[in-house]
Amino acid sequence: MTSIAMQRRRATASRVWKQFRSSRQGMIGLGVLLLFVLMALAAPLLADARELNPVFARASGNPQWAPPSDFPPLGTDHIRRSVWAQFVWGSRVSLFVGLAATVLTILIGSVVGIVSGFVGGRVDAFMMRVTEWFLVIPFLPLAIVLASVLGRSVWNIIFVIGVTSWPSTARLVRAQVLTVKQRLFVDRARSLGASGSHIVGRHILPNVMGLILANATLAVPISILTETTLSFLGLGDPTAASWGKTLEEAFVNGAMVRNAWWYFLPAGLGILAVVLAFTLIGRTLEEIANPRLIRAR
Amino acid sequence: MSEPLLSVRDLNITYHGHGGEVPAVRGVSFDIEKGGSLGLAGESGCGKSTLANSLLRLLPAGTEVTGEITLDGQDVLGLSPGGLRAARWTSGAIIFQGALHALNPVQTVGDQIAEPMLIHKTAPSEKAARQRVVDLLGRVGLSDARADSYPHELSGGQRQRVLIAMALACDPHLLIADEPTTALDLMVQAQVLALLDDLKEERDLTLMFITHDLSVLTYACQRLAVMYAGRIVEEGPAWDVFENASHPYTRALAAAFPTIGDTSSRMAPSGLGGDPPTPGSLPVGCPFHPRCPLARAECQVAEPGLRPSGPGRSAACILV
Amino acid sequence: MHPGVTPLVEVDDLHVHFGEARAVDGASLMVLPGEVLALVGESGSGKTTLIRAIQGLQRPTSGAIRIEGDPVDRTTRPKIQTIFNPTVQMVFQDPTGALNPRQTIYDVVSEGLRIIGQGDQESERVADALSRAGLRPPERFFPLFPHEISGGQRQRVVIAGAMVMQPRLLLADEPVASLDASIRGEILALMRRLVDETGLSILVVTHDLGLAWNIADRVAVMYLGRIVETGPTEQILGDPRHPYTKALLSVVPETREMEQQILTGEIPDPARIPSGCRFHPRCPLLQSGSLPEEIATRCPTDDPGPVAAGAASGAACWAVSSPDSVGSALTP
Repeated sequence: MTSIAMQRRRATASRVWKQFRSSRQGMIGLGVLLLFVLMALAAPLLADARELNPVFARASGNPQWAPPSDFPPLGTDHIRRSVWAQFVWGSRVSLFVGLAATVLTILIGSVVGIVSGFVGGRVDAFMMRVTEWFLVIPFLPLAIVLASVLGRSVWNIIFVIGVTSWPSTARLVRAQVLTVKQRLFVDRARSLGASGSHIVGRHILPNVMGLILANATLAVPISILTETTLSFLGLGDPTAASWGKTLEEAFVNGAMVRNAWWYFLPAGLGILAVVLAFTLIGRTLEEIANPRLIRAR
Repeated sequence: MSEPLLSVRDLNITYHGHGGEVPAVRGVSFDIEKGGSLGLAGESGCGKSTLANSLLRLLPAGTEVTGEITLDGQDVLGLSPGGLRAARWTSGAIIFQGALHALNPVQTVGDQIAEPMLIHKTAPSEKAARQRVVDLLGRVGLSDARADSYPHELSGGQRQRVLIAMALACDPHLLIADEPTTALDLMVQAQVLALLDDLKEERDLTLMFITHDLSVLTYACQRLAVMYAGRIVEEGPAWDVFENASHPYTRALAAAFPTIGDTSSRMAPSGLGGDPPTPGSLPVGCPFHPRCPLARAECQVAEPGLRPSGPGRSAACILV
Repeated sequence: MHPGVTPLVEVDDLHVHFGEARAVDGASLMVLPGEVLALVGESGSGKTTLIRAIQGLQRPTSGAIRIEGDPVDRTTRPKIQTIFNPTVQMVFQDPTGALNPRQTIYDVVSEGLRIIGQGDQESERVADALSRAGLRPPERFFPLFPHEISGGQRQRVVIAGAMVMQPRLLLADEPVASLDASIRGEILALMRRLVDETGLSILVVTHDLGLAWNIADRVAVMYLGRIVETGPTEQILGDPRHPYTKALLSVVPETREMEQQILTGEIPDPARIPSGCRFHPRCPLLQSGSLPEEIATRCPTDDPGPVAAGAASGAACWAVSSPDSVGSALTP
């Protein structure tokens, strides 16, 4: 019997895919994202990792502040490193941090939201106060404090983003759980003797999953931007070449003054493109999950 | 017979949706004379609410409407936007189903009843409108203090009364009541029906009453029309049709709500197999034939038109 | 009244209060094996709250509920779902809302079996329940989602999902109120057939007296949290005693011969239940002035009390009987 259910689930998946395919914004987003994912995966083939090392760069005789015309494809920076290599390898870090931080955000947010909404009562009141507390603490000072206490590493960045950005997800999920909980089919399950975990697993979760997924795709760009911000402020991992760090180094070393656009532009455009791609995909998924959004426009 | 107040001729209404064309109303004609009352019966999807909304051109844009609707001597489908605005509320007014959704939750009911009078300038001033509101509330059995209430402060029956007061605000000639009692309890339904009956007498209103409950229509209306799959399948004097239906569908609808005390329906609920057809994919031939207990081979071939089935009566069935 | 027969469900002096509001206020009733009892009343009478309490979806404030003679104490247990009893199953008013849009029909019907851990021969039992609910061939419905079937079929699925648990009592909350007129009869016929064929009992909550006439053996009339009249269907609908039942019956559109007694206003707020007889402010009998003085003076002050659970028939009205006989078997 499970095979029937599986078949139907596959049919649902293919229907969602068909709807997704018919959306232009969704397909553009997906295309751009795939391009960057491929680039991140194929980084070793596209650029030599040693090019990120200033010692190697100097030894191989790279010029300093070379524009793309002198050192294709994207020139060099103040310590002779290839900007192309930084761009390619930076995409790995940015995408990884963005995705990992999102997973953490969604995980905490969904658990808190579901427990809070489903259990209700005092548990709900307590959890919502905690959530509000996290919601109102100013993000940047906390991030700075956490980063300086925990040290500067990719994992700490992920932790900082995860810990500070779950409350909005939690509130969103809780609101949805509260509506689903009122539905008659939850009463039906109860009158069949269902336990709380059965109701959450079989009835609540499937009906809030769409929202959680759509929310996740919209949380990725926020995480990527946050990583960029933290790196730009010098709180990032000094050993990981993320786009944020490229921007920071370009800024600190006066790339703007020198008009060395090739130094900061690739990283900046890369962030813009990935953020846009995720937003487009997220919006499309949201519309599929909630068709009223399309008509509302 | 006096001049009809509302005359509908060969009305066709087609929705254009994602799934193609959906014919909701297919060639409907009927008259309601001044001061008369017509009950329109049918189930969900039969086109009765579409028909009601079309009478005041309240259908969504892009809906294809052909035929003729003459209300109060005006050609409704040909009216200019200004003429149409005037016709709404003053010539005909609708009491919508779902009393909660039809009221604005953040406006007092007094303001909502006064609104059409101010829009149509039937009240010279706000003060005069206010006075009319109090009169109307009294007329539908609510105290004038209710004018300052918000919809959520009222019970279902009281909200329905407010909607009736609203519809009467501009003294319309035709009152269209779309499922006005469906969500109400038996006693409140009786109160609302009695109120409509009184108003009809008192103001010489013409009434068009729409519901799936044939027995309510029989009680409230002089004539009865039964719709199935976008067409009128039987029409005639209400009691006559209810007690002695010609069309098998009408017979099934009449039997659905049993007569208490009638031993033949005791412990024997009666219904039809199958489901009402979806307007987008109607069966070939008589659209009722898949559910009809009397269906014959020829029913699957051609759709029968209305034919006389008695004095002042007609039915669309080959067995008539 | 039925010596030797243990009622399937016995509700004794049940109270369900929501703060000040006494939604159920001393209701007593019982359902015997193999019968259909229609619990009739207007919205606000507390009838839905009463059956939700029997099902365990609502915790009573006080009173006793006995299922097959065993008392179920539902007032003290902290978790409502822990006192679940598969003997009692529920059918809901709105079948569309009662079905999870993301579950297949198979998932819906098999859900109860999985919850109580009776997974053996699952698909046979699901198929059997669906075909007994009139969905044939059942296999065709297994993979469908609720939005792919009609409203009437959805209600059949809800019934199948309850019947697969082999209940002895079905609680039905306005089972046909949201269905089209032509489908109504088929669902009611199905319910009656299940009773006649399997010995099931049904407690059906409705405001529709025609439904009671169609399928019920007995009728209990509820007003403001209490049963005010009970008896065999023919008696209650043919010769009602309580003025409230009389008024209700008189406004059914099908009973045109009766003179209408339209009560004014609506059911009072359960937070402010009138003193004495709770019906006296709306009672047409009292208002008519035809009551003897000694009765008319009692109505606003003395509570005639509820009809007792075991009564074969009875009416909670001073004008119908002397107070001592209310609560005991009035008429055989």
